[in-house]
Amino acid sequence: MTENEDNLLDVAPGAPHNNILSESVAYIIGLALALILTGVSFWVASTGVLWGPGIATGLVVLAIAQIGIHLVFFLHITSGPDNTNNVLALAFGVLIVFLVMIGTIWIMAHMNANMMPDPALTNLQMQH
Amino acid sequence: MFGRLTWDAIPFHEPIPLITSLVVLIAVGAIGFWVWRKGWWPYLWNEYITSTDHKRIGVMYIVLALLMLVRGFADAIMMRAQQSLAIGASQGYLPPEHYNQIFSAHGTIMIFFVAMPFVIGFMNFVVPLQLGVRDVAFPTMNNVSFWLNASGALLVNLSLFLGEFARTGWLAFPPLSEKAFSPGVGVDYYLVALQISGVGTVLTAVNFVTTILKIRAPGMSYLRMPVFCWTALASNLIMLAAFPVLTVALAQLMLDRYLGFHFFTNDGGGNSMLYMNLIWVWGHPEVYILVLPAFGIYSEVAATFSGKPLFGYRSMVFATMVICIVSYCVWLHHFFTMGAGADINAVFGIASMIIGIPTGVKIYNWLFTMYGGRVRFTVPIYYLIGFMLTFVIGGLTGVLLAIPPVDFIVHNSLFLVAHFHQVIIGGVVFALMAGYTYWFPKAFGFTLDERLGKAVFWCWFIGFHLAFMPLYVLGFWGGTRRMQHISDPSWAPWLHVAFLGAVIIGIGIVLTVVQLLYSIKTRDQRRDVTGDPWDGRTLEWLTLSPPPHYNFAVLPDVHGEEAYWTRKQTAIKEERLIDEPNYQPIEMPINTPTGVIVAFFASVCGFAIIWYIWWLAILGLIGAFAIFVWYAWQDEHEHIIPVDEVRKNARERRRIRMEHLHTISQST
Repeated sequence: MTENEDNLLDVAPGAPHNNILSESVAYIIGLALALILTGVSFWVASTGVLWGPGIATGLVVLAIAQIGIHLVFFLHITSGPDNTNNVLALAFGVLIVFLVMIGTIWIMAHMNANMMPDPALTNLQMQH
Repeated sequence: MFGRLTWDAIPFHEPIPLITSLVVLIAVGAIGFWVWRKGWWPYLWNEYITSTDHKRIGVMYIVLALLMLVRGFADAIMMRAQQSLAIGASQGYLPPEHYNQIFSAHGTIMIFFVAMPFVIGFMNFVVPLQLGVRDVAFPTMNNVSFWLNASGALLVNLSLFLGEFARTGWLAFPPLSEKAFSPGVGVDYYLVALQISGVGTVLTAVNFVTTILKIRAPGMSYLRMPVFCWTALASNLIMLAAFPVLTVALAQLMLDRYLGFHFFTNDGGGNSMLYMNLIWVWGHPEVYILVLPAFGIYSEVAATFSGKPLFGYRSMVFATMVICIVSYCVWLHHFFTMGAGADINAVFGIASMIIGIPTGVKIYNWLFTMYGGRVRFTVPIYYLIGFMLTFVIGGLTGVLLAIPPVDFIVHNSLFLVAHFHQVIIGGVVFALMAGYTYWFPKAFGFTLDERLGKAVFWCWFIGFHLAFMPLYVLGFWGGTRRMQHISDPSWAPWLHVAFLGAVIIGIGIVLTVVQLLYSIKTRDQRRDVTGDPWDGRTLEWLTLSPPPHYNFAVLPDVHGEEAYWTRKQTAIKEERLIDEPNYQPIEMPINTPTGVIVAFFASVCGFAIIWYIWWLAILGLIGAFAIFVWYAWQDEHEHIIPVDEVRKNARERRRIRMEHLHTISQST
């Protein structure tokens, strides 16, 4: 293997290639991974391969993996030094989405905290 | 054919809006005719309306903001007049349904169409100059952003002539804003106007984040950027993340109103509390979108007029970025009383108090910048000192409100109204007035009158305190906000003082206009010949006033934190300018009518949606899309400024600077 060929393959998935062929290969790998993850999601949801209550968690994991594939192969996020801005922007976005989503779910789940408890629970006569 | 639009939409039976409408229509017509008679339309069209120059767009934003300030203030003084009249037996002059529209319009206009365009206008004008570059990243998009914002402002003001405005308060909380309780066009005006201007705001955020991260003069590393650029970056990052939340919340309310969805209704499984949650996920960061650039303006003013570098530059940057993140962790303090329970209230209450810490850091930084400096008591410094006095009190009442048990007592009261006016007027408006005075000579080549400027400051400062301090007292006595009638006669003196305060602010606004006209009239005596009227420290003072279209003949080389100050001191010491660089032709974006045409179609579409004129809405959408396609097919987006012209202008600047250098060296 010559040095040139070696360089050709030694490129991070998101980084620009100097060769249309290897660039296309990177996109095809990304597409294949994305399709596989999509397929696995449907498969997991429609069969009993995962423990029933764990299916939701499994789908979340697969979805996050899918996001990762898209970011790396199609949006070209890499860990290279020229990509710091993009990585930081992504980190900021993830942080804000996390704060807003978790905060909203948390707040909305506690909206009844100051309400009277359910009468069925406080009715002592019912609690034999 | 015309949906809900009938002759009833014109307020024939209500004299106040009818007469106002006629006066405004006549005034707009007269100004348009006068401009036509003077032959200024081609100039306006080429130099402003279709301009992609960030400086011109900045000026247009600020003109829009000042016009809307007059409208918003008219609402304010009507409310103060009503409250000081409608006490006890008297009912005042505004019926409840009209009064409710006024307070809703006042809040909406002041935040979305005064504070936002004012702040964005400064970012447009100042950021590329301070970064030492020629334009923003996407100049045409910048023009589109402005016109979409103007389109929103147009629709809100149209509600005065046709139909009505929302009576639901400036955030249109459901279930009141749902179709069942607000069947009229008011809430629809509100929703559509904010959606259109929101698109413009998000585009602005994309533009400025890209500009600041990607386009800076050679050598301008992140930690050499002026603080105003840092605050602009933080503000735009918040905008980018927060405005989509507003768009979604308003879109859900629109789906409820237009298509019978049940996101926030009482029935069908809706939950209106989710709307409060979403709107404040946007609403609290919005406060920081406005106040962070204001802090940036104060930082520039403090350093320049104290003749010292800003104290604690790095701590300032750090505090700004901390606020940028923590501003997303406090939104629940706007609805402590909604019932999320003690645990959640405690977490958000503590987070709200924590955000006061970086703000406090900033206050100390400004104080220490002034300490030991040769402070020149110009108008911007007046605003800086006035701001520190006012804002600290506003901040302290804010910390008070961040304690949930206290909030349960004073929420939705006049105490709250006084608090947020204190931080927004004392924090944001004072900064905007300071920035207006500070950068005016850069934009137009002459300074504003100093004496009238100080008079304006005193009107704002005294007027503000007279207008809002009584509201703290009334708030403690249990006065709720948004009251059309006051039943307790013992409140009358306080309300009369508040009205007097509003009148004094009104005098300040009139004096601002007088100051502008007087300064234009005497402009020949107040020319800024050198381009550096305040002995500035940042790169915008390097170029002439007003700057050429391309800002800098050659992008400046930045060494150290205060790019221009270092360069200026070297020149003074060596008594010569840097060697004449090799000038190159400059490529600049061409003008485009895209923005104004897109905004025209967006306004048509928005108007049609408000009035249920569906064929017109589709026509508007098609029009907006067609102009977009037309623009995308254009081949030519730049024009070349020939090197001769660049060289000629640059040599003229060097000649002026050399003369200035000689005057300085002779005087020392």
